Amino acid sequence: MTYEGALSEPEDFPKSEEPVWILGKKYSTQTELEPLRNDVQSRIWLTYRRNFAQISDTTFTSDRGWGCMLRCGQMVLAEALLRRHLGRDWIWTPAESSDTYLRIMSMFEDHKCATFSLHIISQLGVDEGKPIGEWYGPNTVAQVMRKLTPFDEWNNFSVNVAMDNVVIMDEIRCSCQIEGERIWRPLLLFIPLRLGLSEMNPIYFSGLKNCFKMPQSLGLIGGKPNHASYFIGFMGDELVYLDPHTTQEAGSIAKKLTEEEVELDKSYHISCAQRMPFEHLDPSLALCFFCGSEKEFDDLCNRMRQELIDAEKTPLFELVPTRPDYMKDDSSFEGASGINVEFEDHQLDSDDDEEFEVLQ
Amino acid sequence: MKLYEMKSAASRKQEVANIRSKFPNKIPVIVERYAKETNLPILDKTKFLVPQELTMSQFVTILRNRMQLQSTMTFYLLVNNRSLVSLSRPLSEVYRECHDDDGFLYVTYASQEVFG
Repeated sequence: MTYEGALSEPEDFPKSEEPVWILGKKYSTQTELEPLRNDVQSRIWLTYRRNFAQISDTTFTSDRGWGCMLRCGQMVLAEALLRRHLGRDWIWTPAESSDTYLRIMSMFEDHKCATFSLHIISQLGVDEGKPIGEWYGPNTVAQVMRKLTPFDEWNNFSVNVAMDNVVIMDEIRCSCQIEGERIWRPLLLFIPLRLGLSEMNPIYFSGLKNCFKMPQSLGLIGGKPNHASYFIGFMGDELVYLDPHTTQEAGSIAKKLTEEEVELDKSYHISCAQRMPFEHLDPSLALCFFCGSEKEFDDLCNRMRQELIDAEKTPLFELVPTRPDYMKDDSSFEGASGINVEFEDHQLDSDDDEEFEVLQ
Repeated sequence: MKLYEMKSAASRKQEVANIRSKFPNKIPVIVERYAKETNLPILDKTKFLVPQELTMSQFVTILRNRMQLQSTMTFYLLVNNRSLVSLSRPLSEVYRECHDDDGFLYVTYASQEVFG
């Protein structure tokens, strides 16, 4: 290998025997580097922006320093929109100006009239106990997405957030079916997890890799500690991700008629993805999936069963047909689960300061 | 782990032996909040005797209800500070595999981290 050669080659994907997986698609870095980069560049890259209209009654005109997890949530949503309207094989070019693309992009503009804007998201977050400007976790952003999508009549998404590491199939299916109609509402499924306390438990790496291989994958939102990113794939033992921590000028690409608008559109795409070792991943994350039809959902469940659950000694989550009795909503779990809790005093050794609580 | 640091291994072992002789069908579990956790409340108890046939998931439900958590809030129970363990598994199984040498099963609870 010549030194010149090494310098002229960008460092995004080193040539390797290891394939790269990006949102369910496999690439060879030896023979498919160009299509791989085009794929990465076709993702909508949402970053910090500055000089936008202030958010409600705050003084914020930029999300620099606090909006990264919200941007990651937007990226998942943008990916779902691309998947639904343009398909997984769609490729962005600087000349792209189809109505569908422009309509999707307009939904993420930084002002309160855009359906999926940072303004609306941070406003809805207030109801989730997050004042504007506060940092979010992956679950909080997923919960806000759930509240956000009813305002988007164009897509009629059904957003499901699987709590407690349990994916309940019939509830998701029901939420996507419209009564009396044979229509499937496109499903956006978030599975928030915590795969360790202060660091990732490596037993989960293979499960995460398998998620990126699924055609229904929308990647995962998570990050390095304090630093959120949108993870779209992996190569060997490294994750491939889009980093929202670049502050760019806010604006509208409108119909992409002027040179400025064409330039601004380029700021929503990046050809060089970044990589980082799986070990650096913060254990708090959310897996994201999209199913445009019931058939895709059935296929996703089969894949999860085979590749994530049966194949692992310690699976990432559970997949159950219906809600278990003990998880049913009830103000007191005693009624729901048939378990009685009794407070009993058991004085043990004389030096014991605290008694056991006995669950019956 | 507070209890772990406060008491010697010998006294913890003795404690488990005592309680197991009184409640042979129950599993001694220490439930502690993750040191860096700020969202979730601290439970008023840390020592539990749990029926061995209870699943991890049922145990999580009990703790969630005890803390009166909203259903949209995250709550994760990690065994030995590491893994989530399958929630469908009974505590007896988790205990057999993961208990400490002193005879307790140590679990830690946490929500999710936040990012800027």
